[in-house]
Amino acid sequence: MLSAIEVLSSGLSTARMRVNVLASNIANAETTRTPEGGPYKRKDVVQTAKDIPGTFSNALDRMTLKKPMVAAVMEDQSEPKLVYQPGHPDANQQGYVAYPNINVVSTMTDLMSASRLYQANVTAIETARNMQSEASRILTQA
Amino acid sequence: MKLLDTMFDRTVTGLGKAMDLTWKRNQALTANIANAETPLYRAVDVSFAKELDSAFGHIDSTVARTDTRHLDLSSNTSAHTVADESGATKPDGNNVDVDLQMGRLAQNAGDYMNAAKLIRRQLGLIRTAIRTGER
Repeated sequence: MLSAIEVLSSGLSTARMRVNVLASNIANAETTRTPEGGPYKRKDVVQTAKDIPGTFSNALDRMTLKKPMVAAVMEDQSEPKLVYQPGHPDANQQGYVAYPNINVVSTMTDLMSASRLYQANVTAIETARNMQSEASRILTQA
Repeated sequence: MKLLDTMFDRTVTGLGKAMDLTWKRNQALTANIANAETPLYRAVDVSFAKELDSAFGHIDSTVARTDTRHLDLSSNTSAHTVADESGATKPDGNNVDVDLQMGRLAQNAGDYMNAAKLIRRQLGLIRTAIRTGER
């Protein structure tokens, strides 16, 4: 009965993870120095779908439902953007500063779509809760 | 089950099955919404009609089924997931259309709650009939 809410909770968790990572990318779009050395590297969420633990009734009904999972958070491996800024403390001998490979505009749109998806999951949880309380009202107000 | 059948007739049983099926469809739709951004995820839906067709062979219900799309009250309901190809496939191989799924979710939840309300009404009628005997 509760597997709908379990799946949606995973949806909330992955959407929140996505929002966190995208926010970190936006905040660090201009970070040229990190403890690991070099500029900040863009992070991307790798999301997969995992079969929810099979319940007896699901097996009987051949219901194969999947819940989203964050498989990994990967760092961007591409070359950093080089901007000519001689005199910058992080500039190389040729006067170029390495900036993270982050497109702030496209990251912002991704962030908006991730937060909309979070809201969609919340709405679906509310729907499932309403359905359950309507069912239990059969018992209390029959 | 015989006692329940005579006491609650077919209405409550049928509505209970309708609730069972719409709840299963709710699970499939929520899985789609949760996975709207999962690469390679393919949308699913729940098919009842096909299951009911295969159970068409034995009917001993008091309600005549004049159409194969009617619920078969005599058989055990079982639903199964089928591929839902209504959304366009995005570049990441995912074909969930969240707006479409949210609409279906609302429609399906409405069906479920209406069935629950009808059961409540039906049980209320039985209660009225019982109370009448007290006077």
